[in-house]
Amino acid sequence: MLLSRVAENLYWAGRYLERAEDTARIVLQHTNVLIDMPDSVSLDWNPLLAILGDPEIEHLMMDEAAIVQYLACDQRNPSSIVASVTSARENLRTTREVLPRAAWQAINDLFIQVGGRWAEAVPRSTRTRYLSHVVGESQRIVGILSGTMSRDAAYSMLRLGRNIERADMTTRVLDVRAGSLIGGNGAFDDIQWVGVLQSLSALQMYRRATRSPLDSNSVVRFCLQSREFPRSVAHCLAEVTHCLGILPARAKVIEACETATEQLASLAGGDISGFQLHKLTDELQHAIGDIHSAVAEGYFRVAERVE
Amino acid sequence: MVQRATSSGTWNELMDESDVPRPVAASLVQQLNELGEHGLVQRQELADLEVKAMGITFTVYDDGRGIDRAWPFDIVPRIIAAAEWRHIERGLAQRLRALNMFIDDLYNEQNVITDGVFPADLLTDSKNFRSECRGIRPKFGVWAHICGSDLVRDGDGTMYVLEDNLRVPSGVSYMLENRLVSKRVFADLFQRQSIEPVDGYVEELYKLLCSLAPDEVTEPNVVVLTPGIYNSAYFEHSFLAQRMGVELVEGRDLTVGDDGRVYVRTIAGLDPVDVIYRRIDDAFLDPEVFRADSTLGVPGLMRAWKAGKVAIANAPGAGVADDKVVYAWVPALIRYYLGEEPQIANVPTYRCLYEDERRIVLANLRDLVVKPANESGGYGLMIGNRATDEELAAAAAAIEADPRNWVAQPILSLSVAPTLCDGVLASRHLDLRPFILSGAGHYVTHGGLTRVALREGSLIVNSSQGGGSKDTWIVQT
Repeated sequence: MLLSRVAENLYWAGRYLERAEDTARIVLQHTNVLIDMPDSVSLDWNPLLAILGDPEIEHLMMDEAAIVQYLACDQRNPSSIVASVTSARENLRTTREVLPRAAWQAINDLFIQVGGRWAEAVPRSTRTRYLSHVVGESQRIVGILSGTMSRDAAYSMLRLGRNIERADMTTRVLDVRAGSLIGGNGAFDDIQWVGVLQSLSALQMYRRATRSPLDSNSVVRFCLQSREFPRSVAHCLAEVTHCLGILPARAKVIEACETATEQLASLAGGDISGFQLHKLTDELQHAIGDIHSAVAEGYFRVAERVE
Repeated sequence: MVQRATSSGTWNELMDESDVPRPVAASLVQQLNELGEHGLVQRQELADLEVKAMGITFTVYDDGRGIDRAWPFDIVPRIIAAAEWRHIERGLAQRLRALNMFIDDLYNEQNVITDGVFPADLLTDSKNFRSECRGIRPKFGVWAHICGSDLVRDGDGTMYVLEDNLRVPSGVSYMLENRLVSKRVFADLFQRQSIEPVDGYVEELYKLLCSLAPDEVTEPNVVVLTPGIYNSAYFEHSFLAQRMGVELVEGRDLTVGDDGRVYVRTIAGLDPVDVIYRRIDDAFLDPEVFRADSTLGVPGLMRAWKAGKVAIANAPGAGVADDKVVYAWVPALIRYYLGEEPQIANVPTYRCLYEDERRIVLANLRDLVVKPANESGGYGLMIGNRATDEELAAAAAAIEADPRNWVAQPILSLSVAPTLCDGVLASRHLDLRPFILSGAGHYVTHGGLTRVALREGSLIVNSSQGGGSKDTWIVQT
């Protein structure tokens, strides 16, 4: 038996933990590319706001420090790393009965660390260490959960949240980063494509899967359609489908998930245009939004009537 | 009585008057001496780390915000001989039998009033009497299923019940966690003597709750109902649910169906609930019946309970026997309902509404604690030996003006035990809260939660006000 309230908390904890990890990885990767680039190339930080932030804030003139501060530790930005970890912990505080004790302790530790050392996120000298810590600790938490928690409805809720957030994040990265690169042939485009893959921890697996020089079309296809790579949209959707198999059947959730899978399969062979990519990622983001709404409707808001 | 209680010295739980260890404490005292203060400090540090790592916390409120603090635990245990504890257990069980019969009587025939044992107007004045509960007969005739009674030991060694908490008593999780910590810190000592285990409580509680389910239910669904994470006892609510393997629910998780049953909202739909161990006060239970502004409760819960569709522990209205006025009557209630003499002492309480008792109070004000009977939370309390002449005169005038509103008790001296304070063993005052379960039978915890005032001379044992706690050992000799 899983209470609707507890299910909702677990689902959101899964989403927030994933968001913290993804945000840390994207900022980390952007910093690394930046350090590589010659001074003559001005690398824009605004795409990061487009991927991770509130669309309203894009238009403000912000420098690197202000943007990193906003993405990493601004409590007013509900998606910042510190805010996400705080939300994950708040959600899990009330679900300690279903969570392995070690997992709670690890999340509590992460919360204390990211909150206490937030000032380290901004200077370049300490930023990499801070962000790597967030990524590493988030993965440790997922590892504890995976190694010690029964594969029941509670676990499925955490996993559902994680994969929905991850699919959403992958489409955002592709939309913003790949969308502006695709079809172009700038001097440092290859480095930027590597950057796209690295934002998703996908470079090595992409290389192993394609065994050919980097190609923009295959990067996009890999990130969207790979059945094997755990951060591809296709893989996330397969995970969601698997979780739904464990949870009580809800037609609307299954339907929404099928719609997204079909959209993903609709991407034809050949060169992908910027317009095509934008249209597809846009559709996918809506479809993922529909899955979320169907999950909330089907599991969190149980009708008053006795069934 | 009044004289003796104030003039005698203070009882030390581990040492006798000539500073020789009491027989039950001999082994412990020897071990403490062997460890020396340096060794003790090391063990205390170990214990503090355990408390932190195990996440044992309590909540304090600061600026309206709840803050989790590490649970204060003193490693030096408090020891009680098993033979004495058996006597206390019998006394507590007897007390709860009488109190439950009293509550059941008040909500039904009210023979205790008709027979002139309990004054009718005291019931009329009672803030915790819920007229909505008239005519209900819970299973086994039991209303207060879980009770936490506070015990103190006076200078001559007599153990007194100071009060009975019959509404939502807390502290039992700390009793269990204290034992876990002290087993880790004093593993060697546990081998040397026979200390009674405490963790049977959770199983006994779960058995009791299951036994309360409506008769037609075979596999009862039990839940723990909490006001939520911001309640100071949330740690305990979560702990007990976890240990019993039942769901911890909030009011918004529950709903009452058209069939009058209580349901919990799950991802698979609505699931029927048979027994609710509620940790919410009566007033917040059901906005349809009690406080309409309560968002913690469940609309319709009282209907479901009255119809016998769900059991609630403790039963709504059980708090009627939990106030200073009723306390004074407990010995009389034991005699009335059971035809027995009380086996555990009540602090002698003078009821000013009776002329003979009022005369004693007015003649001995300096040696008494005077308390308002109407439960206004410590307001108007006067401790005779700490009061000025003006305050004494004011108290006397207040008693004369409204005798019914006042009770008085001798000033007890709380017993002490060695406690590690700033690296040194020092005597500190303590009390004890055992927990009594009542259903078809009775169960009393082996010991209970010992609370200790960490400031020298202080009698305030509350953890929110600088109190600490100790493990309590019932030792067989």
